[in-house]
Amino acid sequence: MKRCPFQRKLSLILILSFLIFFGCKEYSEHTGGVTVTMKEATAPFDDKEIVESIPRIPKNPVLVNTRYQGGFFWTETRHDKIERFRCSNCHNNNEAPIDKAAKVAHGNIVLVHGPENKPLKCFTCHNQDERDFLNTERGTKIEMDHSYQMCGQCHFRQKRDWVGGAHGKRISYWAGKRTVMNCASCHDPHSPKFAKKWPKTYSLALSD
Amino acid sequence: MKIPPKKGLISFVADVILWNISGGIRYQLYLCILVAFMLTGVYAYSVQFNLGLSATGMNNIVSWGLYISNFTFLVGVAAAAVMLILPAYISKDKDFYKVVIIGELVAVGALVMCLTFILVDLGGPLRVWHMMPVVGLFNWPSSILAWDVIVLNGYLALNTLVPFYILYCHYNYKPANEKRYRPFVILSIFWAFAIHLVTAFLYQGLPARPFWNNPLMGPRFLASAFAAGPALIIMILVIINAKTTFKIEKQTFNKLRLIIVISSIINLIMLFSEVFKEFYFPTHHSLPAIYLFFGLEGHNSLVPWIWSAISMNVLGTLILAFNPGKNNPKVLFPASILLFMGIWIEKGMGLIVPGLIPSPMGEIVDYSPTWVEIWVTLGILSLGIFVVTVLIRPALIIEERYSTGK
Amino acid sequence: MDSRENKKDLIQKRNTHQDEKLCGRREFLKGAVKAAALGGSMMMTGCGTSLTGSKEEFVLEWKEYFKGNYRLMTQEERDETVRRMERLAKLKMGADVKISSRGPRKQVLYGYAFNISRCKGYMDCVAACVKENNLDRKSKTQYIRIFEKEHGNMNVTSGNGKYFHEVPAENHFYMGVQCFHCENAPCIKACPIKATWREPDGIVVVDYNWCIGCRYCMAACPYWGRRFNWNKPEVPLKDLTRKQHYLGNRMRTKGVMEKCTFCVQRTREGKMPACAEACPTGSRVFGNLLDPKSEIRYVLKNKKVFRMKEDLGTDPKYWYFMD
Ligand code: SF4
Ligand code: SF4
Repeated sequence: MKRCPFQRKLSLILILSFLIFFGCKEYSEHTGGVTVTMKEATAPFDDKEIVESIPRIPKNPVLVNTRYQGGFFWTETRHDKIERFRCSNCHNNNEAPIDKAAKVAHGNIVLVHGPENKPLKCFTCHNQDERDFLNTERGTKIEMDHSYQMCGQCHFRQKRDWVGGAHGKRISYWAGKRTVMNCASCHDPHSPKFAKKWPKTYSLALSD
Repeated sequence: MKIPPKKGLISFVADVILWNISGGIRYQLYLCILVAFMLTGVYAYSVQFNLGLSATGMNNIVSWGLYISNFTFLVGVAAAAVMLILPAYISKDKDFYKVVIIGELVAVGALVMCLTFILVDLGGPLRVWHMMPVVGLFNWPSSILAWDVIVLNGYLALNTLVPFYILYCHYNYKPANEKRYRPFVILSIFWAFAIHLVTAFLYQGLPARPFWNNPLMGPRFLASAFAAGPALIIMILVIINAKTTFKIEKQTFNKLRLIIVISSIINLIMLFSEVFKEFYFPTHHSLPAIYLFFGLEGHNSLVPWIWSAISMNVLGTLILAFNPGKNNPKVLFPASILLFMGIWIEKGMGLIVPGLIPSPMGEIVDYSPTWVEIWVTLGILSLGIFVVTVLIRPALIIEERYSTGK
Repeated sequence: MDSRENKKDLIQKRNTHQDEKLCGRREFLKGAVKAAALGGSMMMTGCGTSLTGSKEEFVLEWKEYFKGNYRLMTQEERDETVRRMERLAKLKMGADVKISSRGPRKQVLYGYAFNISRCKGYMDCVAACVKENNLDRKSKTQYIRIFEKEHGNMNVTSGNGKYFHEVPAENHFYMGVQCFHCENAPCIKACPIKATWREPDGIVVVDYNWCIGCRYCMAACPYWGRRFNWNKPEVPLKDLTRKQHYLGNRMRTKGVMEKCTFCVQRTREGKMPACAEACPTGSRVFGNLLDPKSEIRYVLKNKKVFRMKEDLGTDPKYWYFMD
């Protein structure tokens, strides 16, 4: 404690508080978070970088006839999922032996689709004349592979989300050639609502 | 000086050991019991080591338990040495100067316990070298736990060095050179506040845990530590007074008592303020407090503990404040025990466990330590008592020799 | 039918799990008597594996023990440790695992969105995650929790994560929670030894060999996103996922922290995380936040999204949205 102890101490305290102030200020400055990072990202992601490691999984994907924000995209084919496609193999105005017909006819189909007072019927969607095809309300012929167009007539919101990516699922890969599931890959078109079921597993009851 | 003084470090260490093994049969028995507890603790730890931490009562929700609770509390005890150091070295209080060495050695014991508690709480104790300088990697300065490791070890070093230097000088019948140790003493005063604040910040800095994320945490840690630590020192002084030839003046007890009373009252006021905030308008951030004081959805394992802790706290404070025994050790001793235990429960389990319950997703589990945990804890506590004992005994002998000049 | 069988199976498994307590008092005392003779030597058996195994195993373990933090390793060192680990897995478990050390891709920041109006609580994601990430079957570790919430309440803590009945239940919705890979992650800030960090592609990872198991990050996480290995994790050999990543699903040891890694072993190869792939309802959207064409960006732009406990400023890369 020599000449002017206070002056020294005071300046020390001042310096310290400046340091703390600027330290805190520096620390609390936000960059704006991930939303800003997203907006500021300019260099586009090169899809090819991913594609190189991706086998093209779905065998014969169907080019969807609408575009999404990234251009063309594909969906799963329906043809090889439908048993006994082509429908016209049977539905061809030829006579069929009755025993065979009973076996292959669609007795197992449960139709729970549409409003209760005005349920959908077979020919709401299926083309009565050409059984290999579907039929829109306006009477346009639609291929089974493009059945999303059928669904989109009523469920246009869902379809919009499906095109954009908020509804439905991309198949396996998050980048590269975009292939998504078709509506009917998940929803049974005849009774589209998801069933009640037991969950696949359970969480451990930690508190028991 | 009649006896030619023995010099040198080797004879110092040899004498310290000698004094410790040459006590009466009672003293030896006492040490043996401590060692037995320590060995049980070692066994219990080996069980935990083999099974992993699943041998404890902790789980993914209550991920810290008895170990960290005790750690938190004992940091306070360690920091409380400053309450003796400050008056003894800075304002040169004679009464405190005589016992300050005891305070420092208690701090050493407490720190040994703290570090051991941290060690047994680790999932990978073999990997602690990742924390060491140069070979390891420190998340500095952003991790408060990294700070804590540094301040704890630093405080341990300071609190070992200063008494060691003084004792070593006295052992050689030389006065300790104040110029040499004074800077360290001043440093250790700041350091004592630091270990406590940093430990409080460890919890306070977690917005994930509303029960801890509370600006009063640091000050309350200090207040409760400055009550509990001196309470422990009173207890030790009472024992020393009764069992050894080293006599302690009433005046010392009185001053310690005053320190305890003031800190404890501040602590209680802050506790009241916290309780008010939690219960005047309970939000869902108050759930941990509700769990602690009243139980939640049928889970109430902490309720009896916290209420007994608070009653002990209040009772101890009242006894010490009104001082019915006029500083009679027979009254001071139980009152200190009451206060000490009260704060132990409240600042140990009562602070750590409810901070984790309910989980951030609202799930509630009860925590109760397993036998492994309890035995390990007892082992560590006896390790601490052991360390304090074997340090204080030679210290007192040296001091006595020095002051009488024999 | 499938559902009913599944139910029986589940109930049985759940019940057998109830009364497994590790260290009762009786066992402890019994052990204590035995150990009176053994004393401290018991301590050594902890490192038993390295002491009793073959010489090669010992050498490998030794090298593994002294290796540095993954983040500071050069690519050669990474390849070396990965090779050592593959060899060790062969020696110890007899499993041929393939461990990758593939780094992040450029121009990628992973993000996730969860549709709370679609999720039906089927928990296929949870099962897929357990399988993919080799989670401990003994303690039933799960990264993903699905919380069942009543309509009319959005409070994060009001959900029931232990529902055990047919789903979806009337008047309830489901909300999946896992590590949100916060941009400003409190867990990273907390770790005293930098054992957990954010990769350049935004994934928050743990170096299982560097972590000392202090569990401070667990206390710091506001979303309960982390899991600790309280015991030695066990995965039956036949269920082991063999395509692994150093930072992802390779086998952990006891006493270390682990967490969701957005399936780093899959996503860095271009695949979807296991949960997103398994979800039968398409409630899980995953993608590159820096790519304006990605699905996740579509969701963020066209849906009303929110994040959990946004007020904490953790800036999670995991959004919730509704149809
Ligand atoms: S959710 Fe938790 S574990 Fe995941 S990054 Fe955020 S703070 Fe860390
Ligand atoms: S448990 Fe591991 S990852 Fe978490 S803070 Fe501790 S050392 Fe870091």
